[in-house]
Amino acid sequence: MKFLLFLMLTLASVYASLNVQTTYTSLGEIAKKVGGDKVSVNVLANPHYDPHFIVPKPSLISKLRRADVLIINGAGLELGWLPPLLKGAHNGKIRPGAKGFIDVSNAIKLQNIPATVSRAFGDVHSQGNPHYMLDPYSVIPAARLIASKLSAVDESNAEYYHENLDKFLKNWKIYLKGLDTKMRGCKEKNVVQYHELFNYFLNRYQYKSYGNIEPLPGVSPSSKHTLALINTIQSKKVNMILQDVYHNQKTAKFIAQKAGVKFLILPHDVGAVDKTDSLEKFYTVISNKICQ
Amino acid sequence: MKKILILSAFCSSILLASSEVEDLKMQLLQQSEMIKALTQRLDKLEEEKSPYSENIASSGFDTSMMQGTQTANASFSQNAYLPDIALIINSSAVGRNIDNVDYSAYSTPGFIDTDPNKEIPFNPDRGFNLNYAEVAMYSAVDPYFDAFAIFHMRAADFEIDEAYVSTRDLPYGLKVKAGKFKSAFGRYNEKHQHAWEFSEQPIVYSGFFGPEGLSDPGVQLQWVAPTDTYLMLGVEAMQGTNEQSFAYAKTNNLYNTYVKSSVDVTEDTSVLAGISYIHGKNLEGNTDIYAADLTVQTQLDSYRSLAWQSEYMYRNREQNIKTARQDGMYTQLVYDINQNYSMGARYDILMKNNLGDKNLDMYTAMVEYKPFEFSRLRLEYSLDKSKYYGGEQKDVQQLMLELNIAVGAHGAHSY
Ligand SMILES: [Zn+2]
Repeated sequence: MKFLLFLMLTLASVYASLNVQTTYTSLGEIAKKVGGDKVSVNVLANPHYDPHFIVPKPSLISKLRRADVLIINGAGLELGWLPPLLKGAHNGKIRPGAKGFIDVSNAIKLQNIPATVSRAFGDVHSQGNPHYMLDPYSVIPAARLIASKLSAVDESNAEYYHENLDKFLKNWKIYLKGLDTKMRGCKEKNVVQYHELFNYFLNRYQYKSYGNIEPLPGVSPSSKHTLALINTIQSKKVNMILQDVYHNQKTAKFIAQKAGVKFLILPHDVGAVDKTDSLEKFYTVISNKICQ
Repeated sequence: MKKILILSAFCSSILLASSEVEDLKMQLLQQSEMIKALTQRLDKLEEEKSPYSENIASSGFDTSMMQGTQTANASFSQNAYLPDIALIINSSAVGRNIDNVDYSAYSTPGFIDTDPNKEIPFNPDRGFNLNYAEVAMYSAVDPYFDAFAIFHMRAADFEIDEAYVSTRDLPYGLKVKAGKFKSAFGRYNEKHQHAWEFSEQPIVYSGFFGPEGLSDPGVQLQWVAPTDTYLMLGVEAMQGTNEQSFAYAKTNNLYNTYVKSSVDVTEDTSVLAGISYIHGKNLEGNTDIYAADLTVQTQLDSYRSLAWQSEYMYRNREQNIKTARQDGMYTQLVYDINQNYSMGARYDILMKNNLGDKNLDMYTAMVEYKPFEFSRLRLEYSLDKSKYYGGEQKDVQQLMLELNIAVGAHGAHSY
């Protein structure tokens, strides 16, 4: 009898909270802040891996099967791995267009929208650069969208979500002020990246990106392109090379050594490198590295 | 802000209409200078403010998108209501120790009969082959159904490879598919040729079902259990036109059931296992097929992985003279070296065969180069000991270079 009661209580507590799945860790952090104890949040993609190519393991299907809400980055970032998982999950609550499907890119003004789209130019993100979470200011519209969507799915807790949102945004704006002040002091602002991954952060703080190590999006480095890039680095007085955690670092290190510039590994998402297990720490680590 | 200033200047000038002309001119001049100064200050303020302002939030947040339905297509596809369309072209250059006239006349006693006009859809010729051009289309029909079709075209052949409708919104983790489709039992069967890990089909598949695998008009019901561990149950009722195992001809006769389950042993290693039972009729009696599959995949980093996959099948096929009892399997290992290169090896064997020789096997090895996500060059060598010519087993050695490209809105492949 006691066991039955215990079982019922645990079941009740399990079902009391909204099952929220997010594709990436930064979205998961925001969902936790907004959802508080009314949601249980799980992140699908491991932040150590390339966010464009997550292995669609069947275990991820069972996560989506029971989700009440799915929060995605959108703008094509999940195109290479999420659709087959969604197809396999048989969950109408989170299919694109349903109440429980949240595409955060809808709340963001995307940058780098290509004028012409062709795969002759590589694996171009046709809807614009999807790596908008690299901009700490994107947290605000993302949190607002998540709060209003969670409220639509779980109306009885709408007030709670909006209270959390206000609290979170208040703190976030204070954090941003500090970050902005710090970033104002940066001197060296010319960079080269592996992929156009850090554009939103760079644009926010008026850095200039003079090129990418990959010759075209999704294409592996070539020696011809690498040599041209070294010339650019020298003529444009580039200060540093920015690389993600998941691509081979050989080319970047080679270029850094040849051109005599700094080589930095930056996190692309919460948890991608050590000591980035919260949103604040994530952006702080980027700013510490990039603005020395 | 600027507009308000100009407007107020304009209004005040009207109010002052009664004053003397000289005064008016003076005042207007003063005011316009004031406006100029104010505008300049405003511009300067805006300039200073811009990079650190919260501009994204106000400009990007579109409440009209919040009803949901409008965002459906924008998330995963490029066109508003046109179906996602992809074109796949597959061609090859083949070197083989058997000439083209002889090659198609092969048999595998107990499995494949001698037929000089046998259709060999993939890589039939020594020399150059255009295997096929495929057009794949996918679209949501309405809130309740998705539609999917693959048209498979060869030089003198048009085929509807698959064309089905599936449900979008059934409760309890259910999904129904109806139309012509590839059975989802096992691992190889559901995949189209361009998604195979090796260009040659496993001989247990070609022996039991032929080059197209098990594909028929029918209905499929799948259920995904609401559990932490992946568990999927499927049942299918199909026409049963497959000549090598079924083809009862009088009426529909084929029923499949399968269970698939997967666990993550570690964060980076997962195991997927499945068992299937296929029951149907041939013209002389029942055919029963039992199958099991196991896949273990380890992710070494974003682009390096190791996948070991095996399938076993047993067939009991009643016939007037003698019931066929046969089985076979394959086991393969594929290593993704980086974003561009993969390599792999496969061993195939038909172990049990009471209608002919047993232990007929095949060795296959391949190296793959993908300059880009959507193009693939594969060099594959195979030594096939399962083919007979004029009653004699003869080793078929083959070296093949296959080029496959996919353009357009080509969906990601599943696990
Ligand atoms: Zn990207």
